[in-house]
Amino acid sequence: MARILLVEDEENVRLLYKQELEEQGYEVLCAGDGRTAVKMAREMCPDVVIMDINLPERMDGIESMSRILSHSKDTPVILNTGYSEYQDSFMSWAADAYVLKSADLEPLLEAIRDALEKRSQARE
Amino acid sequence: MHGTWPLRDTLVMVLAGGQGERLYPLTKDRAKPAVPFAGDFRLIDFTLSNCLNSGLRRIYVLTQYKSESLDQHLRTSWDVFSPEIGEWITTRPPQKRMSDDWYLGTADAIYQNVYTLQTERPRHVLVLSGDHLYRMDYSLLLEEHTRTAAHVTVACMERPLAEAAGNLGVLVVGENDAVVRLEEKPSRPAPSPGRADTCLCSMGVYAFQTEALVRSVIEDAKRSGGHDFARDVLPAMVRSGAQVHAYRFPGRYWRDVGTIDAYWEAHMDLVRVQPVLNLYGRDWPFRGETQHGGPAKIVFAGGSPGTPKAEVFNSLICHGAIVSGAYVCDSVIGPGARIEVGSRIEQSIIMDRTAIGRDVRIRRAIIDKDNTIPDGARIGYDIDWDRRHFTVSEGGVVVMPKRVPFPRADAGAHE
Repeated sequence: MARILLVEDEENVRLLYKQELEEQGYEVLCAGDGRTAVKMAREMCPDVVIMDINLPERMDGIESMSRILSHSKDTPVILNTGYSEYQDSFMSWAADAYVLKSADLEPLLEAIRDALEKRSQARE
Repeated sequence: MHGTWPLRDTLVMVLAGGQGERLYPLTKDRAKPAVPFAGDFRLIDFTLSNCLNSGLRRIYVLTQYKSESLDQHLRTSWDVFSPEIGEWITTRPPQKRMSDDWYLGTADAIYQNVYTLQTERPRHVLVLSGDHLYRMDYSLLLEEHTRTAAHVTVACMERPLAEAAGNLGVLVVGENDAVVRLEEKPSRPAPSPGRADTCLCSMGVYAFQTEALVRSVIEDAKRSGGHDFARDVLPAMVRSGAQVHAYRFPGRYWRDVGTIDAYWEAHMDLVRVQPVLNLYGRDWPFRGETQHGGPAKIVFAGGSPGTPKAEVFNSLICHGAIVSGAYVCDSVIGPGARIEVGSRIEQSIIMDRTAIGRDVRIRRAIIDKDNTIPDGARIGYDIDWDRRHFTVSEGGVVVMPKRVPFPRADAGAHE
């Protein structure tokens, strides 16, 4: 069972995503801020990270992603945000996918499937 | 077509984190780009002067180890631009924003400064080394880079195969100088098209389209292994089908003074009657350390038996230096150095404020700053003694580090 680290500061959204992802058969770990996410990524070795960008505690999602990548280079990170503007940010290019938040979770689920497939291919 | 626009749209990143281990002990207390050169300069002055003369005025210097003297030098000698009109030279040590690491290589230094590129959003980025000696008009390189629309343009020059083998990065080019392969320090370099005994060698000067640079260093950061442009990023770009173009440098002088012997030889070139590197061209001035201390002075004309006589040939004598009745030949005498009566300095580099007493003999040596050499001392005359007390290079050049006591016990007693 693939393990997903879900980084999202809004509790309602976090619970909604968690439920949906668990229904899809994934193991879901949650973090509400960037620092916790970096620590959990290091300790729990997730297969995919879903990262919100606007996060509290003085570390946004892009900085959290770069810190995670500095430690676990091949961990796919999917940026999941309500804003399209961040796509212009150079560092967002380090993400495997950039998905805009919406009521329809299918684009996010597709990005997760793609990332997992790419990761398993790279490891073969 | 464009006047100066490639220059205005270009940001310069000077890699100045090199430790220069093979230049030890000149790099004992300073980063390689801060190593003094030709009395009045530090190595980085050549790259920065090239920028200034080429019209490039937005410069970040990426520093790392032992950067204190480099920082100070840039503050005191390179405070020449006006930030209020968008010109600057600014140092950037690792910000540790993306990791807790120092710069892990040349490409990682750029990766860790992606936020800076994000803020400035230049169209092109010129990546330079802060420790190479050459005279280059970067505007010609940038013009070719924009004309060919290459993702990256690598400056290169023809060098003998024997010099390149195991030592330099070699470019293999196809039609229109498109780079088809890069080999880092190959043992058997491939000759360039139509040549039998030379190959195209990289000068460590890269003009990038900004987006191509950012994507390449991000990809590189996500790979394990090394994080260098020459070894990792450029070969990966060629493999992935990026347009990598070779720019043929029209000049003939370029040196990486990476070793003590290369450093010493570069100085011996300067003291020749017609050196290859011209420090005096008014059209391309090299800017160095701004120090004062009065003009150089050479005294005692001899004339009658027993009176001292100064003799100075084929040498560079910096401001504030005083040669009193001594013999100086094929040497560089740094700012504020003193050489007393009866001493003999040959094929040597004497750095700032070093005081040399009477009847001293020094040959094939580099004496770093702020040293005091006592009367009658000998350096470069007894290789075993020199090895016990100083560093001696493969080529037999003796190096005395900055501000160290002169070995007392047997000084001068070995003649």
